[in-house]
Amino acid sequence: MIISRLKEFKDILKAVKEQNIFIIGCGKCATKQHVGGEPQVLEMKKRLRGSGKNVVGWTILSSACIISSWDEVLSQNPEIEKAEALLVMSCGGGVSVLSANVKQLVYPALDTESLGGVCRDEVVKEQCGMCGECDIHLFGGLCPVSHCPKGMQNGPCGGSVEGKCEVDERKCVWDEIQKRLELLGRLEVLKDIHEPKDHSKRRCRE
Amino acid sequence: MSFREKLLSGKFTVTAEISPPKGTDVSGMMKEARIIKDAVDAVCVTDNQRAIMRMSPLAACSALSQEGFETIMHLTCRDRNRLALQSELLGAAHLGIKNLLVMSGDYPTKGDHRGAKPVYDLDSVQLLDTISSLNSGIDLSGNSLEGKTEFFSGAVSNTQLTEVALMKLGKKIKAGARFIITQAVFDAGRFSEFMDKIRDAGWKQTGIIAGIIPLRSEKSAQFLNKNIPGVKVPDDMIRRFASSSAPGALGIELAADLINELRGICHGVHIMPIGTHENTRKILEMAGL
Repeated sequence: MIISRLKEFKDILKAVKEQNIFIIGCGKCATKQHVGGEPQVLEMKKRLRGSGKNVVGWTILSSACIISSWDEVLSQNPEIEKAEALLVMSCGGGVSVLSANVKQLVYPALDTESLGGVCRDEVVKEQCGMCGECDIHLFGGLCPVSHCPKGMQNGPCGGSVEGKCEVDERKCVWDEIQKRLELLGRLEVLKDIHEPKDHSKRRCRE
Repeated sequence: MSFREKLLSGKFTVTAEISPPKGTDVSGMMKEARIIKDAVDAVCVTDNQRAIMRMSPLAACSALSQEGFETIMHLTCRDRNRLALQSELLGAAHLGIKNLLVMSGDYPTKGDHRGAKPVYDLDSVQLLDTISSLNSGIDLSGNSLEGKTEFFSGAVSNTQLTEVALMKLGKKIKAGARFIITQAVFDAGRFSEFMDKIRDAGWKQTGIIAGIIPLRSEKSAQFLNKNIPGVKVPDDMIRRFASSSAPGALGIELAADLINELRGICHGVHIMPIGTHENTRKILEMAGL
């Protein structure tokens, strides 16, 4: 799941210069996180109207990043044609996919943070760093690229003290990696020196 | 005798930290360095320490070596990718810089450019490995160099280590760290436990240099405990400063006593003053160094 957070309303208002707006929500990740589902879309509609904007319509796509036919979306939501701009309440993937299909300017209502998941109804952030060469098994299933702010590959930095990370309130993932590998009886894998990541695998297109 | 020769021959070394200027004027830095000239074996020049932007340690080391100082250049992984790190190292070698101290580097949000992109393309183990490779005339991609480097590299460590942190220290040594400078030590007894771990791991060839922060007041101790990860000034020491009528003199005395105790335990001390080096010479004289 893509983890996103709602932008401050004042920042949205500052960006959107157009008067006639159509709002698009997303039925997948943004709905699950309560940042782009129906209640949030309706709230956004109310606030935009309260600020003098004309909301010409709204819809929740089953998934903003998977569009099988834009024409079908248009036929189901003819008000889109009346809009000068679209406000999309989905992750950056959805905003980009929609932008490529519509003739109006598309504004993002969310900021995309990380690749995460949901476990027992709890949203978990930063589960994958999208490095393009997954070797999470060497770290007991805890990805240091995404969990460690510095992405350290060979152990904790000096800022890890008593299980706490120097950057914010998070726990140091390296203590968690140690615990998990101890449980698995594989602590010795931490002695291996990991080579630098190959960042060409992350960005280059085949 | 150079810092490297002294450490390798088993003599007790003394190094001290110097920060490059926040600006282009090196006169303040040179003045600080002159206070400790001849009292230390090398000055250790920081690299945007605590993520606060300053002059590059390469330029600062160059200015210091022109005045006859031996330098240890800090190099963090925070601000440069593998291309920039290696080209900086080739430049440092050309300018005659012989010693390096490698570390991950404090996170940008700790400093004065909070929005800076954190690089960490390599970690400290990988950077040490890269330096070892440059020393053998090969870059990180396996290309041959015209003229190889001859760096003497060190790394840093906390003294209270979890198992995984101790394993990382082992990797740093394996990757080429010939000396380790520790986070500030305040209690020789507790530091001995760290030295026991080093001995048990069999890292006999690695010089262990204890970090020393001479305290100036109760407030300075509280500041360190609050702001510097891995630093823990003991509570009874804080109380001594609180009840002292001359905290400045107490700080000098305690630092000198500590250095005396450490002389039998490790291979050197590294002085990191709060503010200026004005007391460093006094401390070293009092410790008989």
